[in-house]
Amino acid sequence: MAKSKTSDNWSSGTFFNRLRYSLWRIVRQVKKEFQLLKIDKMNLVIALLMPPGIIMLFAFMSTSASVTIPVKVSVVSYDSNTFVNQNNYSITTKWDNYTEMYLDAVKESELLELIEFYDASEDENEYAMETARNEMRDGNIECIIVIPVEFSELLTTGYPGIIELIPDASDAASIQDKLNAVQDSIKIFVEENDLDPEYVLQEYEEFSVPSKYNFRYNYNMTVLLPFMTFGISFVLTILVVVQEKPIARLLLTPVQKAEILLSKYIVYSIVLALQVFLVLTVAIANGLYVAGNVIDLFLGLYMLGFAGVSLGMFVSTVSNTKTEANQLFFALFIVIILLSGMFVPIDAMPDYLQNIAYILPLSHGAPIIKGILSKGKSFIGFDFFWLLGISSVLIILSFLVINRKRYEV
Amino acid sequence: MRCNLISTTDVKEIVVNVENLEVSFGEKKIIHKVSFNVNRGEIIGFFGISGAGKTTIIRVLTCQISQKNWTGYVKVTNLNPGSKKNHAKILSNIGYVPQLEELNLYYDLTPLKNVEIFASCYNMKKKEALAIAKELFSILDIPEDTWNKPLKKMSGGEKKRVSMAIGLIHKPDILFLDEPTTGVDAAKRYDVLSYLKKLNRRLGTTMFLITHDMEAALIVDRAAILRDGKLLEFDSNSNLITSLPSKGLVARFSIENLNEEKINIIKQFPNVSNIKTIRVGNETFEVLMDDFEKNLSKLIQFMMEKGLKLNAMSRDVAAFRRYFQLRIQEEEEKERRIRMQQETSEEVQF
Repeated sequence: MAKSKTSDNWSSGTFFNRLRYSLWRIVRQVKKEFQLLKIDKMNLVIALLMPPGIIMLFAFMSTSASVTIPVKVSVVSYDSNTFVNQNNYSITTKWDNYTEMYLDAVKESELLELIEFYDASEDENEYAMETARNEMRDGNIECIIVIPVEFSELLTTGYPGIIELIPDASDAASIQDKLNAVQDSIKIFVEENDLDPEYVLQEYEEFSVPSKYNFRYNYNMTVLLPFMTFGISFVLTILVVVQEKPIARLLLTPVQKAEILLSKYIVYSIVLALQVFLVLTVAIANGLYVAGNVIDLFLGLYMLGFAGVSLGMFVSTVSNTKTEANQLFFALFIVIILLSGMFVPIDAMPDYLQNIAYILPLSHGAPIIKGILSKGKSFIGFDFFWLLGISSVLIILSFLVINRKRYEV
Repeated sequence: MRCNLISTTDVKEIVVNVENLEVSFGEKKIIHKVSFNVNRGEIIGFFGISGAGKTTIIRVLTCQISQKNWTGYVKVTNLNPGSKKNHAKILSNIGYVPQLEELNLYYDLTPLKNVEIFASCYNMKKKEALAIAKELFSILDIPEDTWNKPLKKMSGGEKKRVSMAIGLIHKPDILFLDEPTTGVDAAKRYDVLSYLKKLNRRLGTTMFLITHDMEAALIVDRAAILRDGKLLEFDSNSNLITSLPSKGLVARFSIENLNEEKINIIKQFPNVSNIKTIRVGNETFEVLMDDFEKNLSKLIQFMMEKGLKLNAMSRDVAAFRRYFQLRIQEEEEKERRIRMQQETSEEVQF
């Protein structure tokens, strides 16, 4: 058979001729690659639209973040602006009410949001401080401003006023912001009341890591533990249904689809329990400070991990191929991480993004773990039940999807 | 259609009974009024080219197609696969060997671990399952040193045999096999078929094969030919072949520069009313005709008179493959004639 012109040139041509033909083949191969790329449209979407999509999402998240979010505070005042004569128990002097003036400054400051004021000098507010601490434990306020007994007296008599500040130290990164915000209120207070000498700000951190524990390790663990547990359990399960080829054959035995899926849930729940146990053992052995109960921590992490298992199983049942499952995992994980509050506080996001963020599991899991580790809270609470709800919905959806899915041998 | 249905008075036990099965997906009808039955212990082969409807029928019988897509009377081990409540029972009574082993086996596990998994689906105890597996592995000549090695290290033929063993692990009444010889090289194909026959004899399991491999006809008791969702024939291999002119005697000719024109000349051989020709090679074709012995010499003379240059000639008895080809060819010709008649009548009307 006669050789084709092309192959003839290839074998006997000059170097430039061979190079020319090689380039021609490369061009053809490139064309083929583009054709193959077009077949997997999801891959193209991920490659081309996902990165700008992430940046846009990040930009939307940050739009509101540039506006200062006021620090939520409660003010507890022990200030008594009356002087009681101990000899005859009569009120002899009434000082200027500087507490009221300071409260006005707090309200005026754009960096603070007054949530509650407790006048602890009144008998009925005997437990004001305890109430405020519980509010902070529950995350309703971020710091407590305490006005001491002789606050008005000292200022009236020309001494420096003392203000005590108790910030929530479980979020180490924001302590300075809290200090700055309170400083702002004091600045307003001093300027408006023409006070001289000014004030003393005393800081007592609440929910901070005891000094014998490694500060950096413990604060990092409050972030790492929830992210790692959720992420690993999520990625572990995204392929368990989609990559099991003999499922179709198993369905030609008396085994039901629901039984197959349920057995997977059981196995991966056991693996998760083991994973959480090992993670906590190693973390505690390395000096993890747990303000709360270790069992609470185990159950909190387990619930978060279970939400990851449920989401992974759901991804695995809705996907038709392994590639599709991987792509879906990547897209979901990016969104969950971005909207978890790690980069931008959820409260600083636009309302529509906050609505999405508060649906996602990590936005509820991270506060549970931080609460147990730093504040000694229990795992039971709104966030726990939210995770339970999400997991239940995902489990029901995955059973519905697999039931509708056609498996053919 | 030559359909050898067993009468109700027959002593043989019917394990699959299908009457007037029709399967449709939307507007498209896939199976057209198919009827057949399968007796206990038989090997049944369903033959047809791709798209003939073989897989659709097996899917109805194995509860894979919803009742809303089919009509007709269907019983598998005396149970209706149209009723969901019967599915678990039917699936306990049947075994299935898919075309691709990867759909049937966990390649990262050993054959015995695979057996455990599938046996547990039938609520079998591990000990019992392993005992049956070892017996099946021995019948199927699966080397003992491979029983505890991952399947991915086994050869294609060994995997195929493990797949068969798994299909039989719960001692089913019927074993369905989807293209059992696909993906097996030519020499090993006969081995696979021999093993199936061996299993059928030793265990008495009814086997229901669907295939386009005509060699499988060697082991079947009855063969069905499907085309475009219609059952053309269903009878024993020998009955089908003896129904051919002169009971399947065939003359094979080698003619120089063979083409359709030359074959048409041969078809016009005047001495015989029933003559069938089939091209089987580049320059080879076969002829089947009534009164074969009497007419063969006359046919040779006719060809020479017509100027056809004969290179070689031999005689044989037709195999199932030829019967299948002739039957499909006959059906195509019939359809072509009907189409032409319709076109002609349309032109006349116009």
